[in-house]
Amino acid sequence: MEKQIRDKAKELLSSQAVDCVIGYGRATDGVTSRPLFVYEPEKADELIFDKTCTHNLTKYLLNRKGKKTGIVVKGCDSRAINVLLNEEQIKREEVSIIGVVCEGIVEVSWNQVSEILQTRCRYCHQHAPLVYDFLAGEPIKELLPTGEEHPAVTEIEAKSLEEREAFWSEHFDRCCRCYACRQVCPGCYCTECFVDSLDPLWVGIRIAPAENQIWHSIRAFHLAGRCAGCNECERVCPMNIPLRLLNRKLANTVEELFNFQAGLNAEEMQPLGTFIKEENVGIG
Amino acid sequence: MTQIISKSDLITWLNKLAESHVLIGPVNDNAGVTLFRKVSQAEEIAFDFTNTTLSPKEWFFPPTETLFTVERKDGQVELVPAEDVEAKVIFGMRPCDARGIALLDKPFLNEPADTLYQQHRDKTALIGLSCREVLPECFCTSMGTAPDDSSNMDILLTEVADGYIIQVVTEKGAALLAECPEGLLKQSEVTPPALSSAATVPIEGITEIMAENFDNVYWERLADRCLHCNLCAYVCPTCYCFDVRDYNDKGKVERVRTWESCQSSGFTRIAGGYDRRAGKAPHLRQRFYHKLFYFPAEFGSVACVGCGRCVKACPVNVDIREVIMDVHNLGGQSGQQ
Ligand code: SF4
Ligand code: SF4
Ligand code: SF4
Ligand code: SF4
Repeated sequence: MEKQIRDKAKELLSSQAVDCVIGYGRATDGVTSRPLFVYEPEKADELIFDKTCTHNLTKYLLNRKGKKTGIVVKGCDSRAINVLLNEEQIKREEVSIIGVVCEGIVEVSWNQVSEILQTRCRYCHQHAPLVYDFLAGEPIKELLPTGEEHPAVTEIEAKSLEEREAFWSEHFDRCCRCYACRQVCPGCYCTECFVDSLDPLWVGIRIAPAENQIWHSIRAFHLAGRCAGCNECERVCPMNIPLRLLNRKLANTVEELFNFQAGLNAEEMQPLGTFIKEENVGIG
Repeated sequence: MTQIISKSDLITWLNKLAESHVLIGPVNDNAGVTLFRKVSQAEEIAFDFTNTTLSPKEWFFPPTETLFTVERKDGQVELVPAEDVEAKVIFGMRPCDARGIALLDKPFLNEPADTLYQQHRDKTALIGLSCREVLPECFCTSMGTAPDDSSNMDILLTEVADGYIIQVVTEKGAALLAECPEGLLKQSEVTPPALSSAATVPIEGITEIMAENFDNVYWERLADRCLHCNLCAYVCPTCYCFDVRDYNDKGKVERVRTWESCQSSGFTRIAGGYDRRAGKAPHLRQRFYHKLFYFPAEFGSVACVGCGRCVKACPVNVDIREVIMDVHNLGGQSGQQ
């Protein structure tokens, strides 16, 4: 698979079909991976792909508007490509997608590679990308049948209102508002995020419980029906805040109400970005 | 001969100190995060921690603090400066983090000193703990400190088989030790265990090389993968950017200072709307120029203590040790393009 990725990257760069290929390279710990931007065909041999390639690289396409770019995309990440296409943030003709068939990524942190499959991968139905120009790896039959998912979400749902409040307060109180979760998220590309707006100041600048809660609640809503489920926000959080639970809950709600899952194709409009008068789902 | 104290006696002493001080130490929470937190008794402290998620700088330069309040009272406008009145003891300071505080002193205590920071400093005593283990991300010995460096502590403890060796460094430290209940301190011949050495980085001459490479395309390439979050700055013991805002609640105004970083979109824009560091590369470059060029030019040493937190926490492996090595390789022949 690595050879396929490298060969394709070389071809794209030598033929000047693209001027950069975004893929994965080895991190400084020698065992995990990191995003790698390849500009010269000779450097394409530094590209790797293995079970540590956790990053959703599609975020970087937002920095390369108007430039031809090759990109390595896993199944889950391909849903973010569809979201960005649908929201007209990227142009299909500017992006050459090297899709990879992925059997799952393990829990990784700097200098540590575990044997534990990431949660998103345990419930993955998207081992092959939905959209690509070239596919590296053999298409595999989907490893998991659709069925009961995200038991952790169900667990929280079963709690009382007070218990849920206590659960989330404990986590949100710890948030240091570093915004790594937002910065890594392909769905968070606003020129000015509500939380950065200085005038008006929608949210106070305190790094404190009340402000933290507003930050998290609003961000979660902005991602409802748009979150591709890559779970990068949770991975990057230095404070181990289980952001995935919040995003999954809202994704489930959007699916129940509108029978919609984010990023399955580039055409269908996301429900919260659409207004259909007849669509009275009882939320106001 | 050195003085040592057993672990259970250490707990007794810390609990004694907690009667007259706010006791702060590393605490593990349920989510796998270790932070310096107030404890009501020493038993809550995680004695076997390696390094905390955030550095203890938060006790001197808190993520959020009120600087002063302004209130209208009987037709008069009254300005009340915030004051730190709590005597604190921080237990478990690592040598790198203590050096971090010593570096923060330079900008904050530079005249005119930051009053609140000065108070936090004056009110707080540092009981250090030598590292038992050098982590793969550590490079303290290249950055002016070491796993057993006592220089920025009031007291340094070093764990040995039957307790902790005590080194008193300052008068503040001696005063704390004077509060130790009688009979707990023992004389011993033990010597601290040897440690593996920390990674080394070529820091010598870095400032001169940085001077030559401001416009090097290297920064563009490095910034390609940077997400421009505030993470590296917030975990860092030496980063000290802040933002200031007024909160107005029914006529009572509170001036609040919070953490900020050079990676955020508001950086420099706050002062009049002009972004001197617009664009990806100028933003990330600012991080490294501040640490390796501006700070040393101003205050005489690089603004990094080698704690390795940013190395470990950066979501995309922007590794300051690699950056220092790369800059060395850029050398003097400025590779401008
Ligand atoms: S949280 Fe909302 S406003 Fe902020 S970047 Fe994300 S989508 Fe945009
Ligand atoms: S990454 Fe974590 S700590 Fe940082 S803003 Fe997001 S939730 Fe808060
Ligand atoms: S270097 Fe890493 S931690 Fe720092 S801003 Fe960039 S992505 Fe975030
Ligand atoms: S720059 Fe990184 S390694 Fe250096 S003191 Fe800051 S967090 Fe620690």
